Amino acid sequence: MNNRQARIFAWGSTIAAAVIFLGLTLDSHRQFPNLTNAENITPEVTHGKDVWHKYNCINCHTLFGEGAYYAPDLTKITQHRSEAYLHAYMRDPGSFYDEQRHRRLMPQQNLSEEEIVNLVKFLDWVANVDNQGWPPRPILVTGGFTAGPGSSGAGQPVPVQSSSTSVGVRPVDAGDDIRALGENVFRTAMPTCVACHSLAPGADGAGPSLAGIVRRTEALLASGNYQGQASDVEGYLREAIVDPSAHLNTGGMYSANGVSFMPDTYGESLSEEEIEQLVAFLTTLK
Amino acid sequence: MRYKSQSVAYWYFAVALVLFGLQLVFGLLSATKYLGPDPLLYILPFDVTKVIHTNLLIVWVLTGFMGATYWLVPDESRTELHSTKLAYVQLILWTGMGVAAVIGYLFRYGTGNKLLEQPLPHKLVMVVCFLIFIYNIGMTIKKSGRFTTTEGVLVLGIVSSAVLFFPALLYYENYTVSIFYRWWTIHLWVEGVWMMIMGAFLAYLLIRLSGADREVMEKWLYVIVGLVFLAGILGTAHHYYWVGVPHYWLPIGGFFSALEPLAIVGMAIYAYGAMRRSGMSHPNVLALHWTLGSTIFTLFGAGLLGLAHTWPSINKWTHGTLITAMHGHAAFYGAYAMITLAMISYAQPSLTQGRPEKGTSIGYWAFWLQLGGMFGMTISFATAGIGQVYLERIMGMGYLDAQLKIQIHFVMLIICGTIFATGVALFIYDFFRYRPRFDVDEPAAEGSTASDARVS
Repeated sequence: MNNRQARIFAWGSTIAAAVIFLGLTLDSHRQFPNLTNAENITPEVTHGKDVWHKYNCINCHTLFGEGAYYAPDLTKITQHRSEAYLHAYMRDPGSFYDEQRHRRLMPQQNLSEEEIVNLVKFLDWVANVDNQGWPPRPILVTGGFTAGPGSSGAGQPVPVQSSSTSVGVRPVDAGDDIRALGENVFRTAMPTCVACHSLAPGADGAGPSLAGIVRRTEALLASGNYQGQASDVEGYLREAIVDPSAHLNTGGMYSANGVSFMPDTYGESLSEEEIEQLVAFLTTLK
Repeated sequence: MRYKSQSVAYWYFAVALVLFGLQLVFGLLSATKYLGPDPLLYILPFDVTKVIHTNLLIVWVLTGFMGATYWLVPDESRTELHSTKLAYVQLILWTGMGVAAVIGYLFRYGTGNKLLEQPLPHKLVMVVCFLIFIYNIGMTIKKSGRFTTTEGVLVLGIVSSAVLFFPALLYYENYTVSIFYRWWTIHLWVEGVWMMIMGAFLAYLLIRLSGADREVMEKWLYVIVGLVFLAGILGTAHHYYWVGVPHYWLPIGGFFSALEPLAIVGMAIYAYGAMRRSGMSHPNVLALHWTLGSTIFTLFGAGLLGLAHTWPSINKWTHGTLITAMHGHAAFYGAYAMITLAMISYAQPSLTQGRPEKGTSIGYWAFWLQLGGMFGMTISFATAGIGQVYLERIMGMGYLDAQLKIQIHFVMLIICGTIFATGVALFIYDFFRYRPRFDVDEPAAEGSTASDARVS
């Protein structure tokens, strides 16, 4: 290769790459509105984005996996935590996490109520962007998946409601035992149950561990402290799923102002059959 | 030095090195916060130390590039700079902007947009500095009438850097679109036009250090530039993974970023070949260390470690973990910090008085401590990142719990970071312990050496 050929190679490859890149950029602009649900970018969402920028969130957290690696990824956080929880968390992070235990803590940001509400709206917009199915499994803030009965050595994840399915999900079909179907609901429902609830005794996350839920419920129903409508364990579990605030369990970690942090959307997002299956699964957790 | 005006480079290098030292203070602070608990939580939280750490990097590397260019262009074009006054005005504006930005970050005055946190007034000052710089360099070359290929690549790199900064000045309503254009600036800088600048410095250093034939060196420089852009422009796609863009960016990113190491391998072969062919007879052995070291470390950090997690089916697990920090630290240090330190090492015997040409023993300690320290830091990030990926992304352990399990790697990171910082401190001390020189120490050679002969 002589000097002239080398020069032609340099210019040729640069121009070719640039032309392709610009063409794809144009096509991307054509697709952005659809992929990002641009019609949902309301003034509140835009304000929430400005809040995200103003408080320099990205230099600890990641969004779409981009940012700093000092704090959890928040891409799908609104699918893991209810609005009520996120609002309460933003008012005072220190009441939810202990710096001595986790060795780091988010500083109190002193956001106004409007900023908090719009920030969560922005994060909810982010969670619904079509980002090529990432993350492949939910990225949790704390706690984790614990292998439940029957999930050991399990096969492929089954996409039920979302491409973001969880780990250790055994494939099921309609003819399976109702409890197996219920476990599948537990591991695949959105917002993700396992993002807050573990099945390991004592391993409380953003929600209490569900290990021993049956025994605890029996004790609660017998104690007279119960405030809800249910009369038996199944009824209690069903009520807890569709109307989490009917009976509030313990302390400021799980509720504020008489409202549970658990999403109250399962009554709509799950079918009657799925709720029945889920209850059947939960009643196995003696 | 042959031209009196080259001495402006001394002040650019001085500012660059001070900012480099400051960058490490904030880097080490950030690293210790990974161990926690953080006594500075409400004084200097992680987001502030991190933004200062990355911004100082960008500012000091660019300062070094500017200084090195002001050193290189008179040599290549065989003339004094068009205006040393403009060069000093530019340096003062630039440094003032950098310092103001850092102070602003302490009080949370920034845009909160990753890597482009500089507020708009600062960005505009940066644009003014770029324009002064391009004008000054352009006029110097125009006046001399001598324009080498090395210079051409360098100037094109600088002009493109300024042009690519333009998308960073705009406001985007849609967060995904703003990510899309962030990488036009950042990616096309570091994996495109800065590679041109690095390539030009490398060609300059190799021609002078090894006495390799200019015609051959400049021909291969073209090939490298071609490879950089062929892979680098479409390689931008690896920043478009998982951010809400069309799906076709995934295979494009995978394929073209897999090609990116080609240019880097080319550079290493280029440097090694030049040394093999023409010997390492130049007395400035320290500069030779930095030059060869830069190409080898780039091969490791940018090439190998970049390739390790660039394929989409791997990246979907490693994206947004400490694996990215592993690659980022090694790549930036190898490609841009080391090439700048190479230019400084090459120029400093004639920029200062009484310094031995072959370098001082402190200079060699600085080299090896930095290399060892950065290698250790990279391994620490890698082991921490691998642990994080398996625990958090694959096993599904919560982020905070997974971070607790990988604490030991942060201890390792801090130890290696301290070794690295010691090396940098020695480099800075070695730079400043000789007084600057402001006169010409060798006669301006009109068409003297054979290696200087070609003019394109």
